[in-house]
Amino acid sequence: MADSRLRRLLAFDRQVRRDRAQSPVFLHRRDRRFALDCQDRNQAPSIDRWLAHLARVGGLDDTGDIKAQSQVLSGWHRLMLAFTLVGLIAGALAMAGLLYYEGGQRINLTALLAFAALQTLLALITIVQSAVEWQPWRPLLRRFMPGVSDSALRPLMPALMARIAHAGGVCFGLAGVATLLVLVVIQDLAFGWSTTLSTGAEGYHRLLAALAWPWQHLWPAAVPELSLVEATRFFRAESTDAQTAPERWGQWWPFVMMVWLVYVVFPRLVGLALAQWQIHRGARRALAGHPGMIALEYRMETPTVDTGNEHNDAADSPDVQTAAQCRDLPDSQILICWSGAGDPELPDSLTASHLLTESAGGQRSLEDDLHTIERCGELLAKQSKPAVTLVTRAWEPPIAELADFIEQARQRWPKKTRVALLPLATAPTLAASPSQLAQWLRFADRLKDDRVFISQPEGMN
Amino acid sequence: MPQTPVFAVVGHPNKGKSSIVATLSQNDAIAIALEPGTTRKRQDYPLSVDGHVVYTLVDTPGFQRPRRVLEWLEAHSVSASDRADTVSAFVNQFSDDPRFKDECQLLAPLAEGAGIIYVVDGSIPYSPQHEAEMTILRWTGQPSLALINSIGPEDFSDTWERALGQFFQVVRRFDAVRAPFDQHLSLLKTFGQLEPAWEEPLSEATRYLSEQRIQRRRETASLIADTLERMMSFREKRTLTLQQTAEISDQTLAEQLRDQWYKNQRKKEEHLRIAIERLYQHNRIQRQEAELAWHSEHDLFSERSRSAWGVDRRYLATAGFGAGAVSGAGIDAVTLGHSLGTGALIGGLVGAAGSYFYGDRLTLPVLNTGILKDGLRTATFGPVQDSQFGYVVLGRAINHWWHVSQRNHAGRDLLDLAPADDHWLEYLDRSHRRDIHRMLDRCRKKRSIDDQTRQDFVAAIGAAMDAFDQWRLNQT
Repeated sequence: MADSRLRRLLAFDRQVRRDRAQSPVFLHRRDRRFALDCQDRNQAPSIDRWLAHLARVGGLDDTGDIKAQSQVLSGWHRLMLAFTLVGLIAGALAMAGLLYYEGGQRINLTALLAFAALQTLLALITIVQSAVEWQPWRPLLRRFMPGVSDSALRPLMPALMARIAHAGGVCFGLAGVATLLVLVVIQDLAFGWSTTLSTGAEGYHRLLAALAWPWQHLWPAAVPELSLVEATRFFRAESTDAQTAPERWGQWWPFVMMVWLVYVVFPRLVGLALAQWQIHRGARRALAGHPGMIALEYRMETPTVDTGNEHNDAADSPDVQTAAQCRDLPDSQILICWSGAGDPELPDSLTASHLLTESAGGQRSLEDDLHTIERCGELLAKQSKPAVTLVTRAWEPPIAELADFIEQARQRWPKKTRVALLPLATAPTLAASPSQLAQWLRFADRLKDDRVFISQPEGMN
Repeated sequence: MPQTPVFAVVGHPNKGKSSIVATLSQNDAIAIALEPGTTRKRQDYPLSVDGHVVYTLVDTPGFQRPRRVLEWLEAHSVSASDRADTVSAFVNQFSDDPRFKDECQLLAPLAEGAGIIYVVDGSIPYSPQHEAEMTILRWTGQPSLALINSIGPEDFSDTWERALGQFFQVVRRFDAVRAPFDQHLSLLKTFGQLEPAWEEPLSEATRYLSEQRIQRRRETASLIADTLERMMSFREKRTLTLQQTAEISDQTLAEQLRDQWYKNQRKKEEHLRIAIERLYQHNRIQRQEAELAWHSEHDLFSERSRSAWGVDRRYLATAGFGAGAVSGAGIDAVTLGHSLGTGALIGGLVGAAGSYFYGDRLTLPVLNTGILKDGLRTATFGPVQDSQFGYVVLGRAINHWWHVSQRNHAGRDLLDLAPADDHWLEYLDRSHRRDIHRMLDRCRKKRSIDDQTRQDFVAAIGAAMDAFDQWRLNQT
C-alpha cells in the first residue's frame, strides 16, 4: 500500500521533471484538456488517471519509467533485505549467546532482562529519531546510495530508514524467539537469577510480576511464582545447589519467551507499523505538497485562454522595394488638389504658378471629379507640353480611387500629358518623409505609366 | 446578430487596424507595414476559452473606393430603413468583382452582424475627406466604436475625437503599441458596452485575460527560479586520461573549462529569455542585450554587469544576516531554546560578515582536479563561488521579463535591454531578500534543496518582480 504510494510519487516526480522541457502554455493546454475530458466522463482527475492518460496518449512504453522507479525503490528494498538478514543472524546469535552455558552454569535472567530492556530502548530511539526526522546515517546513505538526496523520496528518508531498522529489529526478535524454542527442545536450559545487589526474592518477584503484567491473563504459566523465584536464585560462590529440584531451573523458559516477544519483538512491530504509517502519510503529503502538483492542479482548474494568435502572415508582407525616383516638377498650368490636399494652405511655390486650380476626391462626388477632368482636358488640349500637378497628402496612403481618377483622366486628356503626383507634408514648409514618399513612388510604379511620376515642391527634393 | 460577439476592425488603409488586432489578439506575427493593401482579405482572430469562442476580432482591408460604393448604395436605397439590406446586397453583388474585393471583405462581417471598430490615426490631422467611408459604416446599422490610434509622434486626437463623435456611439483613444495591459482590458470592456448581449462575454473575456496574465507572472517566477538554481549550481566537468593529463597544463585546462562553463551558462540564460517570450506569446522579438562575450564590458559576468545588477555590501550584509540567523536558529532548536537565541545571533553575524567581506567581489569559480583513479582524472569548474552572480542573473532576467510583459504585440521595435542604473532590490522586503540569499548560497554550495525552500524561492522571485515593477513605477 505504502509502496504503491511511493511508486506514484516517483512516477509523478519523474513526469514533472520531464515536463520541464515543455512550454508552460503547452502544459496548461494538455492538462486542462485532460481535466475537461474527466469532467465529461464524470471522473475525478486523479493522479493515477493523469499518469495513465499521459502514458496512453503518448504511446510510450512506460517500462522505462517503471525501471527507473524500481531502481530508486530497489535500493531501499536491498537495504531492507540486508537489515532483515542481519537481524535474523544477529537475533539467533544473540539468543544463542545469551543462553550459552556449560552444564554447571545457570543462565542469568537478570542479564536477559537487561538485554531485552536495551532492545526496547533501541526501538524507542528509532521511533523518536524517525518522528523528529533526525538522520545521523544520512552521509553514509548518500555515499552508498548516490542520487538518494535528489529523489522525490528524500523527505521520506527518516521514515524509510526507520522502517528498515524496525524490520531488522523484528527479524532479530523473531530469530531470538525461534532460537530459544529450538534450544528449549534440544537442550536442558537452566535459568536462574543472580545479582550482586542485596535484593530479596520478594523484591525480584515484584519486578518480574510487573514485567509479566501484559500477559498475566493470556498465559498465567508464563508469570513466575514467588516460590520459583526463591528456588532459582544462585550465587557464583556456590558450587552446587542440591536443594532445588533440577526441573525447576527449566520452568523459566515461558517467561523468557514472553519477555522477548513483548519487550523485543512487540516494540519493533509497533515501530514498523508507525514507520509504515509515516511513509503512507509522508508520501501523500509529499505528493500533495510537490511543486509540480500545485502547478498541475492549477493547470487543470484554470481554463486555457487562446487569444487567436495562430495566424501568421508576417512573411507575406508585400515587396516594399522600389527603384523609382522623384522627378522634377514639370511646368504645368493646372493644379488639382486630391482629397483635401493643400488645405489649409499650399506652398507658395505652387499657388502663384498655376492658371487653373481644381479639387477632386475626398468630399467631392464622382461626378464632380469627372467635370474636373473635362475642364482640365480642355485647357490641356491647347498646350504644346501638357502637364498636370496632382497634389496629394503624403501621409495618406494612395488608394484605388486615385488610381481610377488618373486612369479616367489619362483616357480623356491628351496622350502626351504628364501627371506629376506631388505628395505634400502636413505643413507647407515641411518635406514629406522618405517613408511617406516611398509609398507614393511604389504607387506610381504600379500604374506602369511613364508619364505619371512623383515630384516634390521645388527646394524640397 | 451572431451568438458570440464579432468585431470588425475597419477603416482607411494604414491607420493601424492590424496593430490594434495584433495587440488585442496578442499576435506578433500579423504583418504590419506602411503599405496600402497589406491586409488583402479578412482574417478572424477568435479569443477562445477552453475551446469555446468568447469573441472574435476580424482584421479587414481598408477602404479603396468608398465614394463609388456609397454612390451605388445611394442609388439602390429608397429609405433609411433599407440601408443595412442595401449594404448586404452590395456585398452579394460584388463579392466576385476585383474592383470591390477590399470593400466586400470589409463589409461582409458587418453584414453578418459584427460590431464596428473604426480605426483612425490620431497623429495626422483630422480631415473630413473620409466621411464617405464613415457614412457607409453608418448605413450598416451595426453598433460602432471609433478608436484613435496614434502611430506617429504628433497628436491631433482632440479634433478627431470631436469629429468621430458625430458618427460613432463611442470614441476611445488607444495606442496599439504603447497602451498598458489595463487599457487592453478596458477597451475590451468598452466593446461589450456597444450591445447589451455582448457585455457578459466581454466581461468574461477580460476576467480570463487578467487571470492568464497573473498566471504568466507566476510561471515566469518559476522559470527564473529554476534557471537560477541550475546556473548557480552548474559545474563544468571533464574526464581526462593519463595522457591528456600530461599534455595539458592546469592553466589551459582551467581556461578551456571556464570558456565552456560560460558558454553553457549563457545558453541557459538564452533559454530562459526565449521561454519567457514564448509565455507572453512573443515569438518574433528582436532582442538587443548586453553582448554575451567574455571581453565585452557589458558581459554577463563583467564588473559593469555587477555594478548594474548586483547588490551592494550593505544589502549583502543584511541578507546574509537573515540567512545566517535562520541557520543559527537550528542550534537554538536543538538546545530546545536553552541557548536563548544565541545560535541565531551568532549565525546571523557570521552570515553578515561573510557576505560583507566576500560578497562584493565577483569571485570566479575555481578549477578542481580530482585524484587519478583507474587512469582517469576528473576536472571540474564551478559552481560559481559568489552569490553576486545570482543577483546579476536575477536582475537581468527580471529586467527582460518586465520589458516583455509590458510589450504589446503590435510593437516591432528592437527590444533594447539596457542595464539598470539603480539597485532596485532595495524595494524588496527583508524576508524575501533572505529567502533569495539563502537559496543562492545553498545552490552554490551544492546543498540539497527541499520543496518548501524552492517554493519560498519562487515566491521571493515573484516579490522581486513586484519590487522591480515598483522601482520602474518610481522611475517614470
